[in-house]
Amino acid sequence: MSAENNTDNNTVTLTIDGKSVTVAQGVTLWEAAREIGIDIPVLCHSPRMRPVGVCRMCVVDIGERVLAAACVRECAEGMTVATGGAEVEGHRRVLSQLLLSDYPDHSRREATTGDDALLELARSQGIVEIPYPEEPAGEGAAADDAAARGEDDSSPVIHVDHQACILCDRCIRACDELQHNDVIGRTGKGYTTRIAFDLDNPMGQSTCVACGECMACCPTGALTDKGLAGIRVERKG
Amino acid sequence: MKTLSSSINGGAAVKTVPVTEVDSVCPYCGVGCALTYGVDQAENRILYARGREGAPNASRLCVKGRYGFDYAMHGQRLTRPLIRLEGSYPKGPLSAGVKSSTGAVKAGGIVDYDEVIPHFREAEWDEALEFAAGRLKGIRDTHGGDALAGFGSAKCTNEEAYLFQKLVRTAFGTNNVDHCTRLCHASSVAALLEGIGSAAVTNVVRDVSNADVALLAGCNPTDNHPVAATFIKDAAAGGTKLIVINPRRPKLADYAALYLQIRSGTDVALYNAMMNVIIAEDLIDAEFIANRVAGFEELKAVVAEYTPERAAVITGVPAERIVEAARMYGSAKAALTFWGMGISQSTNGTNNARCLIALTMITGNVGRPGTGLHPLRGQNNVQGASDAGLIPMVYPDYQAVDDPEIQAKFEALWGVKLSPKKGLTVTEIMHEAQEGNIKGMYIMGENPFLSDPDTNKIRTALAALDFLVVQDIFLTETAEFADVILPASSALEKTGTYTNTDRRVQIGRPALHPPGEARQDWELICEIGTRMGYPMHYSGPSEVFDEFAAATDAYATLNYDHLGEFGKWYPCPDPETSEGERIVFDRSFPSGRAKLVPAQALDPDEMPSDDFPLLLNTGRLLEHWHTGVMTRRSEVLHALQPEPFVEIHPTDARNLGVTDGDKVSVTSRRGEIQLQVTVAERSLPGAVFIPMHFREAAANVLTNPAVDPWGKIPEFKVCAVRIARMED
Repeated sequence: MSAENNTDNNTVTLTIDGKSVTVAQGVTLWEAAREIGIDIPVLCHSPRMRPVGVCRMCVVDIGERVLAAACVRECAEGMTVATGGAEVEGHRRVLSQLLLSDYPDHSRREATTGDDALLELARSQGIVEIPYPEEPAGEGAAADDAAARGEDDSSPVIHVDHQACILCDRCIRACDELQHNDVIGRTGKGYTTRIAFDLDNPMGQSTCVACGECMACCPTGALTDKGLAGIRVERKG
Repeated sequence: MKTLSSSINGGAAVKTVPVTEVDSVCPYCGVGCALTYGVDQAENRILYARGREGAPNASRLCVKGRYGFDYAMHGQRLTRPLIRLEGSYPKGPLSAGVKSSTGAVKAGGIVDYDEVIPHFREAEWDEALEFAAGRLKGIRDTHGGDALAGFGSAKCTNEEAYLFQKLVRTAFGTNNVDHCTRLCHASSVAALLEGIGSAAVTNVVRDVSNADVALLAGCNPTDNHPVAATFIKDAAAGGTKLIVINPRRPKLADYAALYLQIRSGTDVALYNAMMNVIIAEDLIDAEFIANRVAGFEELKAVVAEYTPERAAVITGVPAERIVEAARMYGSAKAALTFWGMGISQSTNGTNNARCLIALTMITGNVGRPGTGLHPLRGQNNVQGASDAGLIPMVYPDYQAVDDPEIQAKFEALWGVKLSPKKGLTVTEIMHEAQEGNIKGMYIMGENPFLSDPDTNKIRTALAALDFLVVQDIFLTETAEFADVILPASSALEKTGTYTNTDRRVQIGRPALHPPGEARQDWELICEIGTRMGYPMHYSGPSEVFDEFAAATDAYATLNYDHLGEFGKWYPCPDPETSEGERIVFDRSFPSGRAKLVPAQALDPDEMPSDDFPLLLNTGRLLEHWHTGVMTRRSEVLHALQPEPFVEIHPTDARNLGVTDGDKVSVTSRRGEIQLQVTVAERSLPGAVFIPMHFREAAANVLTNPAVDPWGKIPEFKVCAVRIARMED
């Protein structure tokens, strides 16, 4: 078995959790796993978007020195992939706990549509305690007040809670690559990194056209529907 | 140590609300986005909308679709039939804002109910329907069917459109039935029927991803077809070159390979010159012309007169830019042409569309992936309402009313004698009403007081009617002139199909119950017909759809079972297994060969003069819908765009001595409005822009009712005005 044998028909065959799967070249590990019914957890990725591999929650063991992000790693001929196991799960658990360490007590997504992906993931991992400080160690403006990342209530439709933002870039891709409105980007460095509207204007004073795609794509309590404030949606059936 | 439970439970108290999700279709524009409403049934309210993975939108939505659903839950919904009080005759406008278009108009943008409601009394349904049907019947019996007319609506469903035109043709006994397509794409339809024998698009919006070049003529999709615009921008990011042509710079110009800022109303000269270059440089598709096109030599002779240099003088676009556009379009392996109201709403509208059709045909850009003709349809169901026959000259599926064979077919279907005479169009009906020849009208879901040109004329026309029935969800400006007002259902409260700009037929499903005693539009049409002596009985919209589909070729294979959750494109020869046709006319046109009709460049009907030195262009804004009846009652949309404005070029602003926020009066030969200035460098100096949505400064007070000779569409996009600064 060699890669050359398969170049003619443009497919690759690999093994994921013991199951053999053949996919087209260029398909990612995350997509291939999904085809055979294995859901690899993700926060930054959505099938509607170009994968960027920033949250690292989807890491899997492919026998290399380090774990690989399944959402961006392309399948290769003969690859053997383990989507679980102590190392992989331990890694995801630490990531979840780190993301939760400065997560606000009140997630507006959890409180409204009830689909906060970070909290859902943490619960599925059985996480109860967050063994990290709520504020970053060391000095600097951010350390003075973790909540100083702040909130932005200026848009008539979307509430922005920067403290609940995990910098997954979904909103950025929703705005720039799905709707092509090019309003959202990142600003700042290190712990002070935030999403920003235009040249860091309040959302309501930016060139935002209020399409809501960012809000629809956000996995956490960072960008939520103001119209649902105070309403916990319980979907029937 | 922080624990996760605190993350879940922290924060303010919330109320848990059981939510039922309903899959439906957006009620706003012609893109027809598939969406899901989250409904609190106990409170009869929609809590949220989210995109569904439908063919037109791939889960994307715009601000109107995602946040603009609350209009249907507004407290001013009509809930009981209303009959005009005897003391409120003779008829006329009732609120200050409708009595006069200038002066003390309250801000806020909706009819002042306190001024209007006291002129009506609530009535039982039976009384209101008997009154309406009885008076319409009386006019028909005394003056003949041609003294009656009806306006249906492109906001209503295919089923309602079909029933409405059927009612007018059978019970009223006239073909005087039209709707707002007359005000948006009537000229495109005229040119397309003449040129290829079909008025629907030949390709869907999202196939722009396969185009090398997309021509965007006289359209502004980011505002008017926002989700379609996202796919056009996707294509541009993927390498499709956009050629954007518009006198007012649209946002899509930022993504364009080439933006040509033409003078308003000079389209024919520009496209003729592009064809001149394409023919001169042999960028034509000779094989396509030989096999599928008629009239090339005549076209060639006319466009030969339009050198880029001559067109440059007329259009204001430098000759080398015209050549560049022609080469870019002519060299494309696949080019797709979109157009909008900038092409159609003109006294030269049909000629403008003829040019785009000819440009497409001589380069063979139809019937293949990435090619085609796509007039972007405005309303959610303007394609369907036209297909269903809300057009005075044709029955459903564009079958001519004055063809005896077709007339006989519909007489057999509907069981009554039909008028062989073509009916009158929207603008003609208003003119005949003013003259006293049209005496009774039934208006369903349209607001001609604000949507038609020359408001001062419409005011006298509506007041002159002996009898007017208005069926709507709110008390509109038009309803102030009514004898009886029937409270109807919004799109969010009804089952029915809508046909989007791509020819995709999709079922809308009810998320809400109609408020109070409000009833379904289709039932009301049937009540009026039955009470006028023409029985109309159906079990529901699905049965109406089947009768409509059977009367057409386009919809013949479709039914509610096939349409299901996501709908189908028509034509759909095999609905069991196929989604329908994305691209049509790959081998031939319904008319056989495409007929090229050359056009000469003519000035708009009204040009600037010493008294009226500026050119007024009108249009729409992202956040609002047409006459604002819906969107100005949406809290979010109103908050985003609360006020009327006139957009003026910095040069003109300087000359007039005005700046942002200054109050000015804008005057045309027909009227005057007052509003504030926004200074922007989007149009050429000498050209100003006013959005049409704002009743307190209604753009149509100013617009010119002159119409295109074929499409009978008014010239909304060009008229001459003057602007004067008002003292504070």
